[in-house]
Amino acid sequence: MTMSKKYWKGLSELSDSPEFLQRKNNEFAHELPTGDLNETDAKGTSRRDFLKVMGFSTAAVALAACETPVNQAIPYVVKPEEVTPGVANFYASTFYDGHDYASVLVKTREGRPIKIEGNELSKVSNGGTSARVQASVLSLYDGARITGPLHKGEPSTWKNVDGAIVKALGEGSNVILSSTIISPSTKAIIAEFCAKYPNTKLVTYDAISYSALIKANKNVFGKAVISSYDFSKAKTIVSVACDFLGTWLSPIEFANQYSKNRKVTRENPEMSKHYSFEANLSLTGANADERYMVKPSEFGKVVALLFNEVAAATGNAKVSDAKITNADASKAISKIAKELVENKGKSLVVCGLNDEGCQTLVNGINKMLDNYGSTVDVELHSNLKQGNDKDFIDLVNDLNAGKVNTLITYNCNPIYTAPASLKFEAAYKKAKVKVSFAQTLDETATLADYVCPDNNYLESWGDANPKRGHYSLQQPTIKQIFSAPRHEGTRQVQDTLLAWSGSKTNYLKYLQGYWNNRVFPLQGKYGDFASFWSHTLHDGVLKVNIVKDVPVETPMAVDSTGNPILAGVAAVIADITNDTTKKAPVVTPAPVSVATTETLPTPDYNAAASAATSAKGGQFELAIYEKTGLGNGNQSNNPWLMELPDPISKVTWDNYITMSIPDVKALGLNEMLRQEIYGSIVDLTVNGVTVKLPVFPQPGQAPGTIGLAIGYGRTAEKLKVAFGVGVNAYPFVSVSNDTLQNVAYSVSIAKSEGEHKFASTQIQHTIMGREEYLLREVSLNEYKKLDKDVFNPPATLPMHGGGEKHVNEIDLYGSFERLGHKWGLTIDMTSCIGCAACVVACQVENNIAVVGKNEVAMTRSMEWLRIDRYYTSDMNKQKAHEEGIGAKEMYIEMENPSANPKVTFQPMMCQHCNHAPCENVCPVLATSHSNDGLNMMTYNRCIGTRYCANNCPFKVRRFNWFNYNDNTDFANNPAQQDLGRMVLNPDVVVRSRGVMEKCSMCIQRVQAGKLTAKKDGTPLVDGSIKTACQQACPTNAIMFGDANDENSQVTKWRADDKNYYLLEEVGVKPTVSYLLKVRNQDEPMIREEHAKAAPKAEAHEEKHS
Amino acid sequence: MSHFSLKSLFGAVFMFFAFSFGLKAQDGAKIFKQNCAVCHTLTDQKLTGPGLAGLADRVPKPADQWLFKWIQNNNNLITSGDAYAKKLVADNGGVDAMSEFEFLSEAELKALVAYVMAPPAPKAEAKATTAVVADDEAKDKSKGIDPLYLLLGSIVVIAILIGALRSVRQSLQNSYNRQHNIPEKPELTFWQEVKEWISSHRRLVGVFVLILIFIGMKSCWDACYRIGVYYDWNTKEGYHPEQPIKFSHKLHAGDNEIACQYCHYTVEKSRHSGIPTVNICMNCHKGISSGPQYGETEIAKIYEAAGYNTETATYDKPQNPIKWIKVHNLPDHVYFSHQQHVVVGKLDCTNCHGDVKKMTTVEQQAPLTMKWCVDCHRKTEVAMEGNAYYDKLHKALKEKYKGQHDVKFTVDKIGGLDCGKCHY
Repeated sequence: MTMSKKYWKGLSELSDSPEFLQRKNNEFAHELPTGDLNETDAKGTSRRDFLKVMGFSTAAVALAACETPVNQAIPYVVKPEEVTPGVANFYASTFYDGHDYASVLVKTREGRPIKIEGNELSKVSNGGTSARVQASVLSLYDGARITGPLHKGEPSTWKNVDGAIVKALGEGSNVILSSTIISPSTKAIIAEFCAKYPNTKLVTYDAISYSALIKANKNVFGKAVISSYDFSKAKTIVSVACDFLGTWLSPIEFANQYSKNRKVTRENPEMSKHYSFEANLSLTGANADERYMVKPSEFGKVVALLFNEVAAATGNAKVSDAKITNADASKAISKIAKELVENKGKSLVVCGLNDEGCQTLVNGINKMLDNYGSTVDVELHSNLKQGNDKDFIDLVNDLNAGKVNTLITYNCNPIYTAPASLKFEAAYKKAKVKVSFAQTLDETATLADYVCPDNNYLESWGDANPKRGHYSLQQPTIKQIFSAPRHEGTRQVQDTLLAWSGSKTNYLKYLQGYWNNRVFPLQGKYGDFASFWSHTLHDGVLKVNIVKDVPVETPMAVDSTGNPILAGVAAVIADITNDTTKKAPVVTPAPVSVATTETLPTPDYNAAASAATSAKGGQFELAIYEKTGLGNGNQSNNPWLMELPDPISKVTWDNYITMSIPDVKALGLNEMLRQEIYGSIVDLTVNGVTVKLPVFPQPGQAPGTIGLAIGYGRTAEKLKVAFGVGVNAYPFVSVSNDTLQNVAYSVSIAKSEGEHKFASTQIQHTIMGREEYLLREVSLNEYKKLDKDVFNPPATLPMHGGGEKHVNEIDLYGSFERLGHKWGLTIDMTSCIGCAACVVACQVENNIAVVGKNEVAMTRSMEWLRIDRYYTSDMNKQKAHEEGIGAKEMYIEMENPSANPKVTFQPMMCQHCNHAPCENVCPVLATSHSNDGLNMMTYNRCIGTRYCANNCPFKVRRFNWFNYNDNTDFANNPAQQDLGRMVLNPDVVVRSRGVMEKCSMCIQRVQAGKLTAKKDGTPLVDGSIKTACQQACPTNAIMFGDANDENSQVTKWRADDKNYYLLEEVGVKPTVSYLLKVRNQDEPMIREEHAKAAPKAEAHEEKHS
Repeated sequence: MSHFSLKSLFGAVFMFFAFSFGLKAQDGAKIFKQNCAVCHTLTDQKLTGPGLAGLADRVPKPADQWLFKWIQNNNNLITSGDAYAKKLVADNGGVDAMSEFEFLSEAELKALVAYVMAPPAPKAEAKATTAVVADDEAKDKSKGIDPLYLLLGSIVVIAILIGALRSVRQSLQNSYNRQHNIPEKPELTFWQEVKEWISSHRRLVGVFVLILIFIGMKSCWDACYRIGVYYDWNTKEGYHPEQPIKFSHKLHAGDNEIACQYCHYTVEKSRHSGIPTVNICMNCHKGISSGPQYGETEIAKIYEAAGYNTETATYDKPQNPIKWIKVHNLPDHVYFSHQQHVVVGKLDCTNCHGDVKKMTTVEQQAPLTMKWCVDCHRKTEVAMEGNAYYDKLHKALKEKYKGQHDVKFTVDKIGGLDCGKCHY
């Protein structure tokens, strides 16, 4: 048998079965699914039709798009006199939210506040601001604000609410629970209220309590006040668990004072020396010249040891001795005490622990050092914190006993902030009528029977007396946003209280009456009240000679209409606005001697010491801290503050446990966090309460301690930004000796399941041996001794054929003369404390989008200005060389920061390179260089190739991955809400998706400043243009000006021998320069190879082409 | 041609004389327009204030001395007990409505009073303007026929020619064929013939089609540039939407000579020129309730906007802001400052807005494209002289271009073309 086929593909082919033959003729084994597309039945659209329709609609849309839109212009009907469209007005006002104080200038455009600046006339805040003050303008436009009074959560009317509350007030005992009130007129109103309802008590409660300081001053000086401090007079500063640069008492004021004697120059090569003892690495600790890690249970012991050393040196009685575990710290204390005594009268010891014994000892130390009257002043006392914890604890007891009929909460949120051990929520519910003055539906307001929403501070009148002798005024800068007829409206608390007291006057009249009676007589500058009022309102601040304390808490005499009767000085307030002819007699304040004649109490330092040193620690000790961004958490619904990277950890949108790296290792938790390595989660147990929290390994954290920030874990659902972010740390605050202390001495931690993604803007900790190019530092002693070329060597490159040349002499580009202005920005790294006020200021000024946690985690943060934070490492090139460590091991080791690292902050924005690498690679010339030396970014030209960002050596360019202003995934963006949009700066474009953006060096301000000078026909005055970051800085660390003007400040700064440029040897010729950081530390910082190097040829003047 | 230049020469001579003799009077005219014309006319017509015709005879002698005092601070004059001043107030129903003008310098006052007491005869001025206008019109007419029409016309002519020649050829061919007894080719239709011609001239047709495609693409490209530009380059016709109120700039700024800045009050203070708010309209229209063209209907719209009750003469009705249509639109990403151009650059409004005084409906006269901005920045010299802001730069520039005589310090030379000057 012959086979017809020699090869076959299968048995079926061999057999030629009919099924096979049929299939063979079919090319495709299965029917192609084309039926739907080819059929044009009534069911659906065919592909052809679809394409036809699509083609038509595309064409139609394209054609329609060609039509130019009709724009309308709607002018005012009656223009307010002070408004000029397109021109900003500035009003002096006061920011005080129960936590921070700042005298501010409010920038308004067409009647809406858009920016907060510091008021340079203020002798308290000195023109500085903080991140919280900068961001406060957005709280005005917070979508969570309540638009009218609520009764049991339902909208009500003021008439009904007033009626019901007035009725309730007369029925039993009332308590006004408030955070510190520094407004003297408000206190007078409350006094009047108390006179009307005699069963009323005012309880002052601060979430972050300072009541131990008040008690200690009572013990030592017989005055129940908080002293004021002057860090600018202190040559030696010791801070124990006290973050006075970031959050403690009056950080803006203190940061300004602190930086004043840390401006090192050749002429005055001196600076203060700052020692810090703390558990968490705080902003203050990061700036300290020497920092020691101690556990919270040993804070008191450190103070006691210091007391004894100082007492021994000054011949005073000692207290019982104590011991601390950190041997270095223990050894340092005697050295520090010696320095303190050497600088008697010019030193300062501060402690942030809210413990009476501890604070009494601190008072004792400052007293022995004769610091009272110079660096500490109990006469010129601060009013910023008046909370009395004992009163608050008593209130809880009264509530539980059913003794309180009506409880009014003002500017505080005790449901959220009260320690768990007080069980405040249960007690709160026992009050019969609960009234809240909250602006948003926070945790307390949610439970309240009546919510009588207060105005925002930018809508309010007010006054403040932050410090004895210092007054400031607050004025509305916008009409009430929520008002009739659209809303029932908000009402200022003072007006509400006046209404409930049965007074017919309004707060403005009352305020003027108060000032006429009680403040006007204190000054001698203005003869009549009208001009006094208008000038003070214009300046925002008033400093008066100190006279005997004015009794502020008595109600003023009122006439039948409820207006204060103006006693003492004859003046008429009714027509103060137009009548300046009536002159009142000039009243000269009676001279009163500041020295107290009364006998001082005898403080019992031994008892104080035994109380202060009694704390015993457990396995772990918890130190609760405030973040520089969120503070006490009353602004936590502010997306700018939520997205602000913590100055130390650089983490956004989160709170977490900070733990020392050895402890992290011991517990087997993730140690090196990266974008793809998440934080481990642990169970934290405090007083039997367990919460799950992620762990952030924090260099500089004292071993055996953990840190946890307050301000997170909001449970009020209306606070959309803050709701559900992190865990609330307030319940862990411990109550001991009738004070609230932000420590818990014994907590336990156990590893738990799961991991947590951190959104951090900086994941590398160290500079990895590139100090010379990026981060130059020198110790004070070396600065005094060494030549400039040693600690700040010029950037030279070796030449072919030998020799070296300065990088400025080698150039691939042709030269370009800058004849007019040549802008320059210089940052003094010694003054920069890393407080991030500039970061928020930049965000507000330049309409920078909020991108949210997920985007930040993908390194898509949009902030134009970031502050790089670097830790020192134990490994360096010299050490590796000496010990024969290979390069690989050296770099691996360099990645690890020291256990107690030195910290350097470096603000980093576009360096505006004059030979910018970004400009060369842009295919569409969207980024180019200006005549006056700025690197410009033209958004409408950018097509989003991102080549520029790729080519930027400083990584300062930001790309708009999404349309943050429209995409609902980024709903936290203020630009997405009708209300939030009002905060946008109309002089800066809101960028859209797909374009690159970066620091413009506030070109809108530069242009405006130039225009003013041109218009006036005068040369540009140095200092008339300030960038937003410069203006916000409380320590004056940033200087902007014309580098072509030989008399400008920036030229002077650049002539300083500390001046250097980042990556100078690359030859990009930045416009931004830095003054290297000087540390007042004993150990040398300059590595030997540099010190030995022969001084180079004459310093090359930086010549920009 | 010679006629034209002769005319302009006469014009120049006339202008020169008018200028040199009338320097004072002209200043006075300017001051009058800026400060007084809102309430006073130079005729008998009464606006808010009385008409000023025959002023010199009315006021106490010496008239100029009295007027100085009155204009500077009429309040002082009234309180000093001046009889005529008191009479004026009494005549006005006891209301002293006139503002004080203490900011005017002595020289300015003199010029103003001289102008008010002896205003130039209005006829001569009118003549001069008409002459200029006539000149402009003549120039417009001499421009000739648009080349597009020429092209279209010639195409039509050629087509007719081709058609005629074709029929001539056809008939010649037919007669030739008939003579030589050549069998007639099958009659081709016109299109068949065209097709045949195309197939035999492929290369020519290909080139022609390519040229057509190129022209088409070029015009698409050019059209793209005009998207969003409210200006027709071809007709030179600007955007001139109809406004909610038939407001005539010709009537206000032209005939009544109200200074631009009186209504556009922020042009020297802000980046915006400022669309007048309704209360500014009411300054005059409280008294003027009827216009020459539309009578009371259009002015009633102002009252409606201001909430003004004509019967009670009070503002007791609800206000309704006027929604004007914006004529001069710049994209949002352009930062333009009027202040910079008007105050510092000392540019006249007409430079960009055209002769608004002649416009009944405002029309956009400049394309407002970036090219237009940049062209002007390349041409315009910066007024550095006399402005101390520029002193240092001016010196440096002079040093740099030493010896070069034809160098102009134009805006682009000092960074006026930087992107960041307008885009941020």
